[in-house]
Amino acid sequence: MAAKVQQFDPPSSASSESDGCEVESSDQVFLQEETEEDEKDNDYYPTPSSPPPPQSPRPPSTGSQKSPRSKRQRTASMSQSSKITSTESILRSHTRTIYTAGRPPWYNSAGQQVEPFVIGICGGSASGKTTVATKIIESLDVPWVTLLSMDSFYKVLSEKQHELAAKNEYNFDHPDAFDFELMHATLQRLKEGRKVEVPIYNFVTHSRESRTKTMYGANVIIFEGILAFYSAEILKMLDMKIFVDTDADVRLARRLKRDICQRGRDLEGVLKQYCNLVKPAFYHYIAPSMVHADIIVPRGGENEVAIELIVHHVHTQLQLRGFKLREKLAHSYIGQPLPDSIHLLPSTPQIKGLHTFIRNKDTPRDEFIFYSKRLIRLVIEYALSLLPFKEQIVETPQGVLYHGKRSASNKICGVSILRAGETMEQAVCDVCKDIRIGKILIQTNLSTGEPELYYLRLPKDIKDYKVILMDATVATGAAAMMAIRVLLDHDVPEENILIVSLLMAEIGVHSIAYAFPGVRIVTTALDPEINEKFYVLPGIGNFGDRYFGTEPTEET
Amino acid sequence: MKLSDSKHDGVEDFGENLKVLPTSDQIKELQTILRDRNTTRSDFKFYADRLIRLVIEESLNQLPFSKCVVTTPTGASYQGLKYQKGNCGVSIVRSGEAMEQGLRDCCRSIRIGKILVESDADTHEARVVYARFPEDISRRKVLLMYPIMSTGNTVIKAVAVLKEHNVAEENIILSNLFCTPFAAKSVMAAYPQMQILTSEVHHVAPNHFGQKYFGTD
Repeated sequence: MAAKVQQFDPPSSASSESDGCEVESSDQVFLQEETEEDEKDNDYYPTPSSPPPPQSPRPPSTGSQKSPRSKRQRTASMSQSSKITSTESILRSHTRTIYTAGRPPWYNSAGQQVEPFVIGICGGSASGKTTVATKIIESLDVPWVTLLSMDSFYKVLSEKQHELAAKNEYNFDHPDAFDFELMHATLQRLKEGRKVEVPIYNFVTHSRESRTKTMYGANVIIFEGILAFYSAEILKMLDMKIFVDTDADVRLARRLKRDICQRGRDLEGVLKQYCNLVKPAFYHYIAPSMVHADIIVPRGGENEVAIELIVHHVHTQLQLRGFKLREKLAHSYIGQPLPDSIHLLPSTPQIKGLHTFIRNKDTPRDEFIFYSKRLIRLVIEYALSLLPFKEQIVETPQGVLYHGKRSASNKICGVSILRAGETMEQAVCDVCKDIRIGKILIQTNLSTGEPELYYLRLPKDIKDYKVILMDATVATGAAAMMAIRVLLDHDVPEENILIVSLLMAEIGVHSIAYAFPGVRIVTTALDPEINEKFYVLPGIGNFGDRYFGTEPTEET
Repeated sequence: MKLSDSKHDGVEDFGENLKVLPTSDQIKELQTILRDRNTTRSDFKFYADRLIRLVIEESLNQLPFSKCVVTTPTGASYQGLKYQKGNCGVSIVRSGEAMEQGLRDCCRSIRIGKILVESDADTHEARVVYARFPEDISRRKVLLMYPIMSTGNTVIKAVAVLKEHNVAEENIILSNLFCTPFAAKSVMAAYPQMQILTSEVHHVAPNHFGQKYFGTD
């Protein structure tokens, strides 16, 4: 059913811009001939003349990213197409259109990383590795998959090598052509769920572009390339190894078709490269690596039985690792004492009075906004008082010294969880001059009930900041935990994070505190329960809807 | 609960009608910035407004309220409380006016009266020059705003005017930022029924407040 195929590109800040590639129609994606990759070919024909513009630089395989070349994006299959429109990434396949959604939880209910499942796909040039990867992603029905291709890791060529390449004499199929060290480091970080900057290789200049592609770990990571099984270290990281075994004549035929028809190269050049470099490399390095494979898929992407088996196995593995977050959160920690990390504002008559206004369903919007803002101001002031201070002595105009205090941290930033958290930004700006504000958009997937990460913009160097993370209400804590996890993935230490809310449910507080004991939790009120729709009881209703005036009509 | 704090000199002597904002490091920081002679005017106003807002919010806690129950959008009921109507603010010109915006930010349509008290530079003798109040002020709770008390003379005069308008002493709440022990004592002695809320009791009063806030130094 609703599979959302994900592309890998997380809504990360960096990656974001959609490249201009148009959505490719699905069929195209799946045509094997076109999709397969061989990495080297393109390289070769970097000669400016030949390639029609689209193909020129080879896309960084990292998946989708923004490579200019539209035609054969292998990666494209999924990813790229998906990112086409930045907000609604789309993957079209024969029978359906898949909208890629936000990133679902990539950690368990204790907030710890769940190891992603890493699939390695190896096979000769033009064997259909990308097609297989695409089909797996499509059938997997997992919302977030990262596709990493070896193409991103070609080494930068020297001038001499560049010339060889132009003559079809540089060996792109040899292990020496790849930067295995970087490949290993990148895969390792992705496996830890961290952010990585994947190089974008330009196949015209044979160098890395200055920009990089930002990728995040995911529940499933697919790593593909002709020498995917070459490095013993990388081999160890792969949870499942697939070898796509397509007959040599079929591969050569695809290569000829692609290079000649689509890339305008001449027959002689293609054959020369194939016979001198591609074919020997296959028999020396690629074919022998078949021994490492768990599964050998004959005929590539057409082999539906094989794909089905693979998908089934991956599903089982994912279930074992446990990715059903919100439901789990809602049922833990009943009746536990409150954690030490919670800081509840003293319940004064004013705070109670403000809550009375904003909780009352009959409060008109202008009053709701007004009183919410007052309450927000109070909670933000309170949150600031939890930051570290140092002693300071100042001179006064009255001529005496005054023993006072100043904040010990001048780097404070606010991060709001959209949409409701945004309502708190103004108050932070009102109390901290020139504060930087980051934003994270997390939405609940209505079909799974899980939170998903859609968008993210954070100040650079956020790791050096004290972060005031804002969300108006916290029910199960699922969204807050995802936001905290994002901050941790950006190397912000737990102790530097304060999650600030107007109202929290006890369950949410327990979940956050259990998962992230170092994070301080600040709120003006704690409610005992949440209902089946994950609203806090007695609660406040949907804070964002009431504040922004977007509540469904029957609710007003 | 929030009241006095032994670190302030002599707070214990003043009884429960003098309340000091719960001391936190961050309020201390605001006070430090306001007292620092090197603070720029723009920072001064910014941090003064923050401190004022906190003092006003706390002052409002002293107003009377009653319990009530409301229904939330989820259909559950919430045990809340409701403030009684019939309050007003009175600022003592000029520095008291710095606190009006803070009050407005909390109570959008509250009535605000003014008193102008001038003090003789030599004798510190204070006299009332101007007063304008809501008509029914005698039936209201009055939030009297004056940020700096050094001798307390100005406030004593102002309260005298309020009492002339039949405001009961116990209906007056004085909102103040900085207060000397001397001023606290004399005001309390003059009006034992009045409540005072301040952020700090300290023997040096930052008398530059009005000048720096309004930029007339």
